[in-house]
Amino acid sequence: MSESTLDTKKVTRAALLGRDYRGVKFELLCREGDEVGAGDAVMRDLRRPAIKFVAPVSGRIARIDRGARRKLISMQIDIDDSVPVAGVEPPADNKTDTLRSFMLESGAWSALRTRPFGNIPGPDGEPAAIFVTALDNDSYAPRACQIIDSRMDEFRASLEVLADISTAPLYLCHAPDHSLAFADSSKIRCVPFSGGYTAGLPGFHINRLAPIGFAGREVWHMGYQDVIALGHLLVHGKPWLHRVISLAGSAVQNPRNLCVVPGAANDELLEGELADGPNQILAGSPLYGRPLDTGQSFLGAGQRQLSALLGKSEESGKSDGVGTIIPSDRLEAASPPGIYPVPLMRALQLGDAERARELGALELVEEDLSPLSLACVSNSDYGSLLRAVLEQIEAAR
Amino acid sequence: MATMTTQVTRRADARRHIVKLWLIALLPVSLVAIFNSGHQYLSAVDSNLLAADDLRSLLLRGLGASAQNPGLYDMVIVGVAHFLPILTMALLVGGFWERIIADRSQRSMEPGFILVALLFTLMLPGAAAFMHVAFGMSLAMILGKAIFGGDGKSFLNPALLGVAIVQVSFPGAAGSHPLWSGLAGYAGSDAIGLYHRGGESALTAADMDLWSAFIGSTPGLMGTTSVLAVALGAALLLWKGLIAWRLLAAQMIGLFVFAGIFNLLGADQGAGTMPFYWHLLLGSFAFGAVFLACDPVASSSTNPGRWIQGFLIAALVVLIRVANSTHPDAVVPALLLASIMAPLIDHGVIAWNIRQRARRHV
Repeated sequence: MSESTLDTKKVTRAALLGRDYRGVKFELLCREGDEVGAGDAVMRDLRRPAIKFVAPVSGRIARIDRGARRKLISMQIDIDDSVPVAGVEPPADNKTDTLRSFMLESGAWSALRTRPFGNIPGPDGEPAAIFVTALDNDSYAPRACQIIDSRMDEFRASLEVLADISTAPLYLCHAPDHSLAFADSSKIRCVPFSGGYTAGLPGFHINRLAPIGFAGREVWHMGYQDVIALGHLLVHGKPWLHRVISLAGSAVQNPRNLCVVPGAANDELLEGELADGPNQILAGSPLYGRPLDTGQSFLGAGQRQLSALLGKSEESGKSDGVGTIIPSDRLEAASPPGIYPVPLMRALQLGDAERARELGALELVEEDLSPLSLACVSNSDYGSLLRAVLEQIEAAR
Repeated sequence: MATMTTQVTRRADARRHIVKLWLIALLPVSLVAIFNSGHQYLSAVDSNLLAADDLRSLLLRGLGASAQNPGLYDMVIVGVAHFLPILTMALLVGGFWERIIADRSQRSMEPGFILVALLFTLMLPGAAAFMHVAFGMSLAMILGKAIFGGDGKSFLNPALLGVAIVQVSFPGAAGSHPLWSGLAGYAGSDAIGLYHRGGESALTAADMDLWSAFIGSTPGLMGTTSVLAVALGAALLLWKGLIAWRLLAAQMIGLFVFAGIFNLLGADQGAGTMPFYWHLLLGSFAFGAVFLACDPVASSSTNPGRWIQGFLIAALVVLIRVANSTHPDAVVPALLLASIMAPLIDHGVIAWNIRQRARRHV
């Protein structure tokens, strides 16, 4: 499934979304109306200026949307392919510092995420392990192994860099039937994971291989498409302007995989795809996806699925607040291994940060708990409860 | 794509749906309760006893049952005439309290009381006195449910609590009604007492063999006699994931192990010589293990805790049966104790888990 065999959907507008980069205070490096090439730095983190954010596409900056307290919501770019793409020099050697500054300058660093908390790691941070998630167990998602196999050169080049940005081991988590031709070296360790949806999530892998405790260490992880994007920079010297996503859900007439630009506008992607009648758009899978916030109609960073369901969304659903948890085996099946779902859910409902941390909340982010929210009858959205608890813990550090 | 639409609409109905599935799972035992009450009654009376003028006799006479050459119709009518009044009483009393509690706490009525009433009814003898039913059901609703905040918040199964209170409060309640025969009052079947006193031959003398105990044509608490019907309900609950298979498996394995231990200790007589299959078939162990012990809210909520609690229940049941011949069935006190222990077990499991996590973290 190389990109050439997939349907390509052209869009006229793409965006960087502020909500994809938690805790970042953006400092703009350009203004509305400026012409930018894909890969040009357009923003950086005010507190950690080394971390740069680059334009996902070439074009003209159409709009910079800010919300309450001037928080950046999105930076929208009108696509214009005539603006040249920014070229990058491959790193001169493979010293840690050189590789890190290459990733920071080219914007690839911003695809790394930490656990706990799911932030962008600091430029000088030292992880206890790095995880590359080379599988996706959602049955509606694009097949990770096919995309990786079609971009093997980039994937390999990228892994070698990721293995060298720290002294920590790099865990390559892959599907058991997907043999990735990497000899288990001291740096790269291939670990097969099989199981249901949760077995494809980084929270699951981290829990298994490097559970996060109380020592204040962190681990980093990166998704396979971001790994390929980094490899594209290394191999071809320019950014990868493709992402493979899946369209699925009961309101989609022709569910399939699409090759699109990063950050593409959802309404253009869904044009002509939806069945008549009211529908609800979800970022992510039809089962576990998150209803889109208003005004955030672009693909997020690392998002691989776009879903549309028939029928109106149920507004009152989540407003019920805390309900009763009825324990059942389904909750065990929906939770990451080694985590007792019911005690964790009770701690989250109560906002008991200390207990939640003891029970493993530091390894998790919102996406890990969406199966639990789905399986539980209590009406609670454990993802947002978890985030509230994580923010408490983060503030206390 | 049924799963997708359920994501949107599931929540409002999810709890009601669970109660509905439990009621369906209790259908086989309810049917056995009706058939077997009829069967027990008709085999214990001579034709004249139908002439009594209590409510049940009036009811079954009014519906045209006769004890002369009774057939299936007579059996069902007699069974209904004993099962339905108790269930109705339990539902009325349960609904009354649910209504009062719902009004006071300003919420709508929850359907859980229907399930409590049915479970409670099934754990009573067909000859239970209505006042006792009302008393037990009231306490089940108030002590077992309301004071903890309603459905799903109690740490005891309300029906189990109600039954326990009735058993403790009216130990000598058995009267001359035909459905009291073969029972040790509200504690249910006296079969284990029989085994205690006379071994397997005493069971044979009372017309009990493995088959009749399996299909449930023996005297006992209404819903608990048939292991077959319990197994059908258990299959549905397990298939739907409503009860924890580990807890059920632990109870069964535990029963096998602890009964085996007492067999090996080599007692000459008494319940210590009773093999595990009689432990399972006699009394209300099977019913209690599935429908009361596996109440998801009132049992352990961690997997290791479920194993521990299951073994604890089995150990307590066998131990009380062997050691205390005056309490032959032992299921209700054992379940009550294990249920009270469940939060403590969970606490231990979680503490152990936290220590393990702290040891292997990065």
